[in-house]
Parts: sequence; structure tokens; C-alpha cells
Amino acid sequence: MEQAPENATAKDVIVPPSVLIGLAGIFLAFLRLGCTAFGGGTAGWLYRDIVVRRRWLDDATFLTMLGVGQALPGANGLKATVLIGQHLHGATGAISAFLGLLSGPFVIILIVGAVYGEIGEHPILHAVLDGIAAAAIGLTFDTGLRGAVHGAPGLAPLAMTATTVVCVGILRWPILPVIMGLAPVSIGLVLARRSRR
Amino acid sequence: MRDHPGENLIALALIFVPLSLLAFGGSNAVLADIEHQTVSVQGWISAREFADFFALSRATPGPGSMLTALIGWKVAGLAGALVATLGLYTPAAILVYGASRVWGRWRGATWHSAIERGMAPIAAGLLLSGGVAVLRASPGGWPVWVAAAVATAALWQWRRLPPLALIAAGGALFGVVSAFYR
Repeated sequence: MEQAPENATAKDVIVPPSVLIGLAGIFLAFLRLGCTAFGGGTAGWLYRDIVVRRRWLDDATFLTMLGVGQALPGANGLKATVLIGQHLHGATGAISAFLGLLSGPFVIILIVGAVYGEIGEHPILHAVLDGIAAAAIGLTFDTGLRGAVHGAPGLAPLAMTATTVVCVGILRWPILPVIMGLAPVSIGLVLARRSRR
Repeated sequence: MRDHPGENLIALALIFVPLSLLAFGGSNAVLADIEHQTVSVQGWISAREFADFFALSRATPGPGSMLTALIGWKVAGLAGALVATLGLYTPAAILVYGASRVWGRWRGATWHSAIERGMAPIAAGLLLSGGVAVLRASPGGWPVWVAAAVATAALWQWRRLPPLALIAAGGALFGVVSAFYR
């Protein structure tokens, strides 16, 4: 970055792919992101920082990267982090970005956990954490509900969501056999509906 | 807990590595299994600790559930925290890295978008189940259920509600009520 010419900082210039962004630069950018991305939704934070602010990628490349990981397990923000790191600096770039994103939150949560351990049993602390948990459960429910209602329209996907909730949430079955049982049915239904058209 | 620390590290890896590859919708999708394995099966942490760790992990920054680091720390110190965290995140990262190298020419293929569309409702169901798992583990009782329902409704109504503000409001409300009524 330090060798970049003066005009490269102009707002309308995307860093060209030929300019290799250093591993330390990638690590630090994602370290900062990891420490500031609160409340989930890391993908949105990534977009604002990497695409809008730093201009390391253009919109289309970023959206392609988000799309690639959609069918795979893992948090969208983390998958996009790996792909952006790879795009910027190959395999070592992917590792730098991955470790950068995780190390800040890792250290912070251990410090917070140590403070929690020191305070120990305290009724007001538990009450505060109950309130935080309730709000965070609301965030998780909202994401799940939006995925169920807006993700794929129709009754069959809703039935798939409901069956998953019954099996995992209510009957408390392990996730592996539930996914192995439901995924082929759900994917098969999508294919069947396509072929009918 | 086992006598030998190495056995605990292996047990942590055996729980979190497979869950990494099942976390469709992110790490909150596997909260139900994390709770079941670490509270009920292994007995590493209490239900109270699970609910508190979840709250702490959502009140701090990060890409998902850093509660794994707290569970790992409780089981085997710093090594445990590292094994649990890397175990939950690395396999999914390696998978997306490998897939991206071949995904390009698959993009737009019928079966690729069928997997994407087929897994979406299951991911939604896993996220909802994750929320239910924390509710069931929480010793806070009915006020937590009511507050979670209110938070869900508020977010559904006002999409742009900042998550951190909601979390701060939840913690403050419960803290103040408990300070006055105990």
C-alpha cells in the first residue's frame, strides 16, 4: 500500500488486481473488521469496509464471492473473508484474512470470559446476561424467519423448515442425520418443481 | 471430565470439526448440537454457563459464535479454546476455499442452484432450532421467552433496528428489573 501513487487514493479508483496487497495489510484489515463487526451480519461489514472504504474489490466480484459460498456450510462473512483473502493474495492471503478476522474476537471473548469467571455467581450479572441472551435469540429467530419466508417461496420449503425445527429444536435429534435425511428431499423437491415447468 | 488433558482436546475436536461442516446458515445453526454435546453428553458446562456464554459471545464482536472459545477454555484452557475455535471454523473455510477453485464452471448449473435453494429452508430451520436450544437451556424462565418473542417481533417490524442497541436494551432492562425486585 505504501508504494501506491497519490492518485490511487481517489475515491473512484478500484485497486487494480495487478497490485498485490501485502499479507500484513490483509491481516490488519480483517483484524480491524473482526473487532468492529458486532451483532453478526459480518458480510455487511465486509462490504462496507473492503469494497466501499478500501476499494480492494468491485461490487460484482464481492457479490460473486458471497454467491459461491451460499450452498456450503459456515457463516457467510467467514466464507467471503476466505475468498477475498484468496483473491487478494492467493492461499496465504486466505489464511491471513481468516486468522485476522478470528483473532480479535477470540482474544476479546477470552478477556470477557475471564471477567465473567471473576465475578462468578451474581444475580444481577445473570439477569443482565439473560436480557442479552433474549435479545440475541430474537436476532437469531429473525434471521431464521426471514430465511424461511423470503429465501424460497412456496409451501414445500416452509414444510422443510418446519420439519427441521421439529426434529432438531423440539425432538432434539442430532443435526447430522436430520440433514442427511432432509437435504436430499429438499433438493429433490427443487429439481422436481423445475422439471415440471 | 477426563484425567488426561490431551483426551479433552481430542474430544473437543471430535465435537466441533464435524459441526463446522454442518453449519448451514452459520455457526448459530449448530447451537442445538453444541448445547446437547457440551451440557448434556459431556457435562463440561452447566445450562446456566451455556446461556451466559451465548449471551457474552453475542455481546462481543465477531463472525459468529465465539462461545466455542469459552467452552474450550473451560474444558482445557488456552489450548482448548484454540482447538474448539479453529475446529468450528477451519473445516468450513477449507471447504469454501477448495470449492471456489472448481465452483466457477459449475455456477449456473441446475444441480448447483438446486443445492443452494434446497439447503436454504433447512438452514433457516437450523437457525430457529439454535434459538430454541438456548431458550430451553436458559435458567431465566418465562421472562426470557417473552423478551425473545418481543425482540423477534420488533426486528421483524423494524428491519433496521441496530443489533447492538437491542442487545444493550435487553441487558439493561433485565439488569434494572432484577436490581429493583430482588
